[in-house]
Amino acid sequence: MKRIALIGNPNCGKSTLFNRLTGLSQKTSNLPGTTVESTSGELKLKSGKIELIDLPGIYSLFAQSEDERLVVSTLLGIDVPRPDAIVFIIDGSNIRRNLLLVSQVAELGIPSSCILTMADTAKRRSIDIDIKALESELGISVTVVNPRSDKNIQSAYLSLENQTVGNIISQNDNFEHRLRSFYEGNKERGLSEETLKRYTDIEKIVKKVVIGSQTRKRNNTIKIDKYVTHPVFGVVIFFLVMMALFQGVFALASGPMDLIETAFNWVKIQIDEFLPNGMWADFVRDGILGGISGVIVFVPQIFILFFLIGILEDSGYMVRASFITDRIMRKIGLNGRSIIPLVGGFACAIPSIMATRTIKNKSERLITMLVVPLMSCSARLPVYFLLISLAIPASTFWGPFHAQTFVMTSAYFAGIFVALVFALIYKFIGNDKEKSEFILELPTYQNPRIQTVISQAWIKCKTFLSEAGKVIVVISMILWALSSFGPEEAMKTAHLKAVELSQINKKDSAQIHNTQKLEASYAGHLGKFIEPAIKPLGYDWKTGIALISSFAAREVFVGTMSTLFQTPEDDDQVKGIRTKMQAEINPTTGKPLYGVPYAISLIFFYAFALQCVSTMAVIKKETGSWKWPVALFFIYGGIAYISAYTAFRILSHYF
Amino acid sequence: MNITATHIEINKIYEISSLKENDLTLKLAEMGCVPGTEIVKLYSAPGGDPIAFRIDSYILGLRKSEAENIFVKESELV
Repeated sequence: MKRIALIGNPNCGKSTLFNRLTGLSQKTSNLPGTTVESTSGELKLKSGKIELIDLPGIYSLFAQSEDERLVVSTLLGIDVPRPDAIVFIIDGSNIRRNLLLVSQVAELGIPSSCILTMADTAKRRSIDIDIKALESELGISVTVVNPRSDKNIQSAYLSLENQTVGNIISQNDNFEHRLRSFYEGNKERGLSEETLKRYTDIEKIVKKVVIGSQTRKRNNTIKIDKYVTHPVFGVVIFFLVMMALFQGVFALASGPMDLIETAFNWVKIQIDEFLPNGMWADFVRDGILGGISGVIVFVPQIFILFFLIGILEDSGYMVRASFITDRIMRKIGLNGRSIIPLVGGFACAIPSIMATRTIKNKSERLITMLVVPLMSCSARLPVYFLLISLAIPASTFWGPFHAQTFVMTSAYFAGIFVALVFALIYKFIGNDKEKSEFILELPTYQNPRIQTVISQAWIKCKTFLSEAGKVIVVISMILWALSSFGPEEAMKTAHLKAVELSQINKKDSAQIHNTQKLEASYAGHLGKFIEPAIKPLGYDWKTGIALISSFAAREVFVGTMSTLFQTPEDDDQVKGIRTKMQAEINPTTGKPLYGVPYAISLIFFYAFALQCVSTMAVIKKETGSWKWPVALFFIYGGIAYISAYTAFRILSHYF
Repeated sequence: MNITATHIEINKIYEISSLKENDLTLKLAEMGCVPGTEIVKLYSAPGGDPIAFRIDSYILGLRKSEAENIFVKESELV
């Protein structure tokens, strides 16, 4: 199958066109040994099927950040086969800078054609482009396509079928050799002179192909930016946008999440009905299905947050957010560009850590990666919800604050605060000799293209499903085994004790059996084993089991607690656990065992601890060693322990 | 006259005259900051840094320290 790569500047309409052409056939693939992804899709042309490859937008082949380097390695055929042909996407309103890339890539001698986008924007700015003249200057076919309107998308197909080797305006005898050498990290001299020479040649082309005076009226983008970057309004707008983002996620995600839970509960009931009772039904229901539902239930939240961030990115706002936050970010060792991965961290750390690849400076990129897991991701949310509703009645007010909202908000801010402190610490211990850089195009504002945004949010969800999904399902099967089996003697004793207790109480026999069995199981032994370590934080061995199981993914906490406290008749999971847990009394103090100090202490623990195996795996992939994930595991674990301990001690005086 | 892009008047059209030679030269040139190009200072982020410029026909955000590398002169094009 013929492989055709789309090459162009960022913000030139490349991804929109790609989405329009490939529709639902898109897939992402990892390059060998990295997490760098390229997206491709199949397409049927008159001449047969082709594979269309969408690559990150770049300004030049002398690439510096990880995502830019991907384009160069593809074009040079390093680790992956070279594409058979190239389609350039050129933004007509910005023709000089776009032609620089064309003139560089042309030297590689790959057959190519050109699609000119945004010709209407160019026209509005009184720039008219003579297509025939451009074709003869470049020596390749040029097609005008507006990727945002349906009418002439067909002409894009023509461009895909019609590739030739173009005119090469060679600046250097050995361009490809020099490019390869630069890619491998060698210093190449004379590159900026070469770039200036290219621009001189481009100016000659522009004189021939651009018709009309280039009068530039003050456009809307600049007017909007006056407010968006204003010292007062700009900051207010930023916070309002962020608040709307989170409110939006809460409002939109709860419906689909309930639906998914209901669906899985229905499936579980079917299993109970149709599979013979016993170990295998248990395994399918709690081991496999429990794990899968624990993964799927997050998809709405992750999708919606990335969808909303996608809208902000595609409209052009996120770049402004980078622009206005750069000054503060720089002070703590980050970069304005860090804002996108950091906000994404509230959905899921895994794709967000990958999103740091646009940060060129290695130290800034590393620090961003290291603090992203401190953002309260969607997996923590159900844990917070359970603990808050467990300990604090909805009607409680602490002073002027609604107590439940106050605790939830504090949990989020605690994560952000610790992230700031750690960024600063990393900045000071790291010795960064590389120059920090913030050279960022502020694209024209545009209406977000929903189809593009949806497909990109879906790609992020797929990353979550493939990276975290597998791990969560496997660990939940292991946990099932650990909690279903135990030392033979202990299990026998537990069974007898359960029978005896059931006869005394004459009710809840399933619950008693479960609890006794779990206590005697390997998981119970594990919980008991770590109990001395977590007792100072106010946790018992049951919480210990839930904590250990959280290392699959944090939300497994809720599932484990429900196994520990739920009877099968409960239809509302959280309510069921809550009633049971609230009844437990601490034998030494006489106070409720699972009260406010317990809940807050656990929330702190979950806010800070790096309890996500998948996140650790991604950090390992991106940094190339286990050094950082292991260090973070202990550092954040330590912070989690100390703050949980402190919270529990202090709060125990008041509650 | 050697003024850099950091210090130019807002909304007034200048022309890039040269670039300071250092690690940033290549990147700035690639982004279209080449001698002869129109440059206009548009606005800055809260705190005055970074600054947004119009370069030719697009908007580019640069830190003050980066804009120091771009020498400009008053435009003859007007």
